[in-house]
Amino acid sequence: MSAISIRNLTKVYPIPFRRERITAVRNLSLDVEPGQVYGLLGPNGSGKSTTMKVVLGLVFPSAGSTCIFGRDSREVESREEVGFLPENPYFYKFLTGQETLHFYGKICGLRGAKLRERASELLALVGLEHARDRRLGGYSKGMLQRIGLAQALIQQPRLLVLDEPTAGVDPAGSREIRDLILDFKKRGITVLLCSHLLSQVQEICDRVGILHKGALIREGRLDELISIENQTEIILENVNPEVLAQVHSFLSQSGGRILAQRKPQTTLENFFLEVTADSKK
Amino acid sequence: MDSTPVKHTFFSPARIWAIATNTLLELFRLKVFYFLLIFALLLIGSSAFMIDFNFQEQFQLLKDVSLGAMSIFTWLLSVLATAMLLPKDIEDRTLYTILAKPVPRFEYLIGKLLGILLLLLVSTLVMSALFVAALYGRQQFVISETIRTSAGMPAAQLQEIIRGVRTSTFTFSLIPCIAIIYIKAALFAALTLFISTFASSWIFTIMVSVACYFIGHLQGIARDYWLGSATTGPLARIFLALVALIFPDLQLFNLVDDIVAGNSVPLLLFGKTAALGGLYTFIYLLAAYFVFASKEL
Repeated sequence: MSAISIRNLTKVYPIPFRRERITAVRNLSLDVEPGQVYGLLGPNGSGKSTTMKVVLGLVFPSAGSTCIFGRDSREVESREEVGFLPENPYFYKFLTGQETLHFYGKICGLRGAKLRERASELLALVGLEHARDRRLGGYSKGMLQRIGLAQALIQQPRLLVLDEPTAGVDPAGSREIRDLILDFKKRGITVLLCSHLLSQVQEICDRVGILHKGALIREGRLDELISIENQTEIILENVNPEVLAQVHSFLSQSGGRILAQRKPQTTLENFFLEVTADSKK
Repeated sequence: MDSTPVKHTFFSPARIWAIATNTLLELFRLKVFYFLLIFALLLIGSSAFMIDFNFQEQFQLLKDVSLGAMSIFTWLLSVLATAMLLPKDIEDRTLYTILAKPVPRFEYLIGKLLGILLLLLVSTLVMSALFVAALYGRQQFVISETIRTSAGMPAAQLQEIIRGVRTSTFTFSLIPCIAIIYIKAALFAALTLFISTFASSWIFTIMVSVACYFIGHLQGIARDYWLGSATTGPLARIFLALVALIFPDLQLFNLVDDIVAGNSVPLLLFGKTAALGGLYTFIYLLAAYFVFASKEL
């Protein structure tokens, strides 16, 4: 059974006081298998958020259907297994971190010692134990995202839907959230992720779908989609110029061609984190 | 730790209570109770005008001012506090995180309304306590003044006057009077919640709710006038019937004025008015659910 199953989904929004309609999603079909991290990509207005909202039962399909672990998204019960983090969530600023988790736990049916234990466990998981009694009004953007992840996990869902989880978060916070998502994957939690940060999607997603103008234009395993079939990448270490010349010569004799030869580079993110970590010491 | 997932139930009073208490906490931390200070100041201020009156007039003025202010304050609080609840949750996207949990939309609405009703209950009880304290203080002042100025008066006559002062101060009818004030505010909270399910902004919600207040107060007069006229056509009659169905006749809630004026209100009439308020509250909540259930967020 798929974690998410979308069949021929079409969503049309009427424009008030006009006869025009906007088709946000057209005839979309896709499956997210249990345990996968699935990246839903696309430019602004491509239908990503609408698709997520239909999956979560926040908007209703004009045609087609969506299911979560076999249950129709329109049924409230389907949300038992889902945790959701919306883009730029604010939550209730008047609540502390702990109160926030208690509130979301209570509406999921948790009570008493079980709820308190779960909240403490999640505060530790997202690294917010020190801020448990601070009101969310005083949280930074990265802390809000992390408390958002914690509330999404409160009822131990099997599926997490994350809309731009690292939007507006600094590189260190972004890295922490990425690591958390990889940790969820290890625990067998399925993740549907919407993000514009393609490098991050590339690092953590098993499979991606690309939406454009409401239609799915590409879909598949990430490594298959982005690999260049007729090229091979070899990274060499401690090779002197003579050996390199021999490699060039051998390749040209065998009909192959070296397209590029350069020093491997770290990513700007790694470099930034390294530098800022040094300066903090 | 027990990792068994909690099974969803169709209706959960515990979920509703969690949303209601969270709503109450929100309003409490937004410091909406500060308006009670204004109420207290109003009670103290009204004492300044009582010097030249006899004791019956003093109690009457205090009741008029206090219950009038209580009625306006609870109504204002119900409209202003309710109008912002739903739009704020949508704007801040907190509504997404709540409805993405296994929470039925009707439970969310009931929870929000219950939170407001709790707020109104606390406010009404606090205002009532302040009112009773002011009335008791005034009573004690009048009694001490009476004793001071009645030197040489026979004891039986003095006791008679004091008994008169006491019976003029507190009457049982003040309780249904305060209950009617609360029920009217509850009705407006439900009406405002209903408006906010389709309104585009909280300002619009407040404006429509205030307009409903005036329509509710004026429709009885308009109906009597038009239906009394021989020239009123069938269309106008249908229109009036529709208005009467949609908006409660708030003149019926003017029982408060009768009680303050010292007129006795039959228990049956109080019961009918309370039931009407309860019925309209339920109807508006139901209407809010029908709009909200199909609302795309």
